[in-house]
Amino acid sequence: MVDPAPLHDPLRDVFVVPVRHHSPACAAQLAALLDQVQPAAVLVEGPCDFDPLIPLICDARTRPPVAVVALRQLDGAARRKRATSYFPFSAHSPEYVALRHAHGRQVASQFIDLPSHARAMLFDGEGEPARTLQGDETLFDSGDYVTALARDLGCRDGNEVWDQLFETRIADADWRRFFADVGQYCACIRAATAQSVMETDGTLEREVQMRALVARARAATQGPIVVVVGGFHASAMFGDHPGDGAPVPPSGSEASSYLVRYGNRQLDALAGYSAGLPLPGFYQHWWDWHHCERANGATDDWAGTLIGGFVAHLRGQGRAPSFPVMLSAIEQAKRLASLRGRPLPLRDDVIDAVRSTFIKDEIPRAGAALLQELHGWLTGSAIGDVPPAAGSPPLVEAVRSEARRLRFVVDDGEIRTRNLDIYRKETHREASRFCHALALVGAGFGQRTAGPDFRNDVALDRLFEVWSVGWSPMVEARLIEVSELADSLPEAVIAVIAERIAALAEQGLGRNAEAAIDLFATACRAGAGESAGAILQLVEAEVIEDAELRSVVAALSDAVLLRRGHKVLGISDPAPIDQLMHTIWRRVLVLLPELAAIPADQARPALQALADLRGVIEIARSAGFGFDLGPFDEALARLEAQDLAPAIAGAVMAFALLDGRADGQALGLRLQVELAGAYLDAGERLAFVGGIIAISRELLWTVPQVVEALDAVVGDAEEDDFIAMLPHLRLALMPLDPGEIDRLSTIVAERLGISPDALAQVVAISEDEALRNAALDRELARKLEAEGVA
Amino acid sequence: MNAEIQNLRAPAELRHADELARLAEADNAPRPAGWQLSPRAVRRFILGDPKLGVARKFYGDDPLVDRAIVSLMSRQGLMLVGEPGTAKSMLSELLGAAISGTSALVVQGSAGTNEDHIRYGWNYALLLAEGPTERALVPSPVLNAMRSGRIVRFEEITRCPPEVQDALISILSEKSLALPELGADRVEAARPGFNIIATANLRDRGVHEMSSALKRRFNFETVHPIDDPAFEKELVLRQLAERLEPEAVAVKGAEDVAELLVRTFQDLRSGRTAEGASLNRPDAVMSTAEAVNVLHAAALEAAYLDDGKLGGGHVARQIQGVVLKDSPDDGKKLRAYVDHIVKERAARSGLWKEFYTAARALKLG
Repeated sequence: MVDPAPLHDPLRDVFVVPVRHHSPACAAQLAALLDQVQPAAVLVEGPCDFDPLIPLICDARTRPPVAVVALRQLDGAARRKRATSYFPFSAHSPEYVALRHAHGRQVASQFIDLPSHARAMLFDGEGEPARTLQGDETLFDSGDYVTALARDLGCRDGNEVWDQLFETRIADADWRRFFADVGQYCACIRAATAQSVMETDGTLEREVQMRALVARARAATQGPIVVVVGGFHASAMFGDHPGDGAPVPPSGSEASSYLVRYGNRQLDALAGYSAGLPLPGFYQHWWDWHHCERANGATDDWAGTLIGGFVAHLRGQGRAPSFPVMLSAIEQAKRLASLRGRPLPLRDDVIDAVRSTFIKDEIPRAGAALLQELHGWLTGSAIGDVPPAAGSPPLVEAVRSEARRLRFVVDDGEIRTRNLDIYRKETHREASRFCHALALVGAGFGQRTAGPDFRNDVALDRLFEVWSVGWSPMVEARLIEVSELADSLPEAVIAVIAERIAALAEQGLGRNAEAAIDLFATACRAGAGESAGAILQLVEAEVIEDAELRSVVAALSDAVLLRRGHKVLGISDPAPIDQLMHTIWRRVLVLLPELAAIPADQARPALQALADLRGVIEIARSAGFGFDLGPFDEALARLEAQDLAPAIAGAVMAFALLDGRADGQALGLRLQVELAGAYLDAGERLAFVGGIIAISRELLWTVPQVVEALDAVVGDAEEDDFIAMLPHLRLALMPLDPGEIDRLSTIVAERLGISPDALAQVVAISEDEALRNAALDRELARKLEAEGVA
Repeated sequence: MNAEIQNLRAPAELRHADELARLAEADNAPRPAGWQLSPRAVRRFILGDPKLGVARKFYGDDPLVDRAIVSLMSRQGLMLVGEPGTAKSMLSELLGAAISGTSALVVQGSAGTNEDHIRYGWNYALLLAEGPTERALVPSPVLNAMRSGRIVRFEEITRCPPEVQDALISILSEKSLALPELGADRVEAARPGFNIIATANLRDRGVHEMSSALKRRFNFETVHPIDDPAFEKELVLRQLAERLEPEAVAVKGAEDVAELLVRTFQDLRSGRTAEGASLNRPDAVMSTAEAVNVLHAAALEAAYLDDGKLGGGHVARQIQGVVLKDSPDDGKKLRAYVDHIVKERAARSGLWKEFYTAARALKLG
């Protein structure tokens, strides 16, 4: 048996109040204690560097759940590798109740734990960066003592044990007995915990600090002191500890902390948050009912209030159960509570009642949708609020006000769908950019579920962009993380993009112009606007290192498109993009001579790059910001003089024709040579034509020699050769659209002296079949000839 | 020994008569009208009370027992659903015995069940001799339960045709049954304490649908297979002891073999081993009840055909009878389990090696 921890130390006149974080019963009993004791000082477990935030926590405009978020540097890690941890308060946190009490009566209050940057606070028992700065309470659920107790009491887990033993006593009149029992319970849990565990997880170190700060406060204060600590630590606050040193002072430079809005969803112990109770929404209802409704005598039917609330929630979704089912659930909850020896139905009773009465079917092991809905409702979506002067970083303020301006709801955590008419409405375009930006920053604000995708040329006919958005404390938390790098969202976007460009090399995408410009374009789409210039140098550095013509041309294409659409993207000064565009253009010129070294069998990507290049040049010209083509033509002329792969030679020839350096005559001669060449493979014979057509299809009808040469080749070819050539010919002519095919066939028909319609007949057989038929035809002809009947 | 206990299987109220008596004696909590015990005593009867020497009889889901007891206090009936062999019938028997003192009021549902089994029938000799009189009326277990304010059990309700099931609808909602043959106004009203526990299997082959009107009158409770191996082992061993006691058979090594058996059943039932490897689940039902059957048969083999020491080999030879029932593929699935999972365990443990060697010799397809 473990000795119960005393609640009051008469020698020092110190009350040590053992609590469980976020327990409504502890909060209610603590309020009674404080009213009676009227302490001269209130000390609360929590990092001592949070003291400056106490006035904000107690501000009348602060509405829990809120949390202090602490950003700390991890030892020896890279600059941006930081730990972000939370110290949440709900309306029913004993710590919050204690601080508010002290604040309301102008009594001194302070936090007494180690500073948030202390090593013991940075890591949890497993050496991972700690997510919560409140002591780990998993022992309340999983320790040997609690497991055994649960079995004895007929409870399913430690949380039900807690509810059964303590939450039921929220309205008890005797706070001394209540806290004596909490203390005893926690002392038993501590007795079942190994000393080595408390050493490694920092418990003992933290308790030294708490004792030291209690002693210091004792020396400085007249009158009773109330110390509110996690029940686990209560017994360690008593007795002599000669080895204790002086308290560790907070350091201003190693950590920064802010009071931010927090949400029930994040408070949920089931979601991995290790201090607190599962389904915080339930405890919120439990606290509210005791504090408001019961106190005002409005209704005495707790089960009815709660289950009725859930039914109303379901009704909002159009799937409420019938009234008798609701009554049956309320009755079931009350009877379950009575069977289990509780004055009122608690969490598990309500869940059990709904499970029994609402679902008329077998429930799979994975659970039923309705039960998930109940869990969601009992978790709650409430988000707190902090005073405007809460000192949140400028970035958070800026984003929040921008969100409000764009009419996004930031007052709760509901997920909503937003349709953005991005073509017609400027504000919708801004909202779209805002969503893109937050997505880029990784804030988890929204997800685009539908809309045109300009980058991949998909669904361009969609007029609306659809986003599923929900503001959550995690959005703010991520923004706080980024806030050291930026004060506005566009700056944050730039900071994140800069990080990503730096990370490209690690992903094997170093020196890749396309990847870099893609990030730049992303930044522009996300509304980086004028700030985009800041990452220009980084992008340029990637571009001038890129050795792949294909990716440089793709980058050029992106840059040209950005330049053309700069107004839509909110960039009023196109100079930075111009500069980037010309850098890429110069890189293209540097890479062009290397085409000479490309072997014939690897020519296709290079050909594609040249074809894209022509398209980009045309777009640039039509948009009125053409490139300086002089050096380009020179580079091509030098190429022409070299021994090139046939396809590339064709492409270079096409550029020469377009530029006027060559004429139809020269092309016709060259074609005859190429087409009559002694290539074994028919494909190689046609590669040159393919190169021409890839760059400039219009040469087929503007330069008659092309068709002439083709005609000659086709006309002279033996049947077998022709059939072997056919697929390659088809490949070469593939870039043509139907209108162009018509145009070409008209020219061919004119040459052959037949009606163009004769060539345009649709033959509904497959290519394979046509080839087979042709072979069969030849075979038949041979046979007929052999038989002498041809 | 009570003469009735000599039966192949005595009803729960006789098997646990001592425990029920002790509970009734110690029970000072209020009882709902018509109940033999208070709800808390019913709970202790089923979930055990070491202080009163009451053994635990249902494992794995205590809150379900609470919900079931509370449902029986309400106007709703209690519907226990779940896979075969999950102790639904046992639970309904225990509830009936504890609440009403009898588990004998039972309708055993089948394709041949008709409305007479739910309402009432006639003794035709008396009917011809006396006309429709009280004496000629043969009340169904349901009518009996209504008259005496007790729990009636309806086993395998989904095996009955839906129109027969629906005879329960008005009985459940009005808690009364008209007997027009005995007089125009003759209605039999249920006494307090009357309620229905139905058990059903919603997914087995050859079961019928239930109308939603009927469903609405029940609170549903799903009984899942036990997923805590320690619980399941305890249960299997206890039931083995119960079965072996009357036969005066004693075997050694049951503890370890039960662990092996439960592990195997849990692996095959869940499709995932304790070590986290995935495997194909056989279609056959791998229930705790089947595990008890396997262990019982293995123990008999060890006792009568071997030296009385239960080993992995005995289990392996019996397990094929459980797995090879439904689908020929199940044999292949068991073979794969033996070849991969069991083989690896065989390298570390003698017992698993016995199991492996014997299982390899089976024709599993």
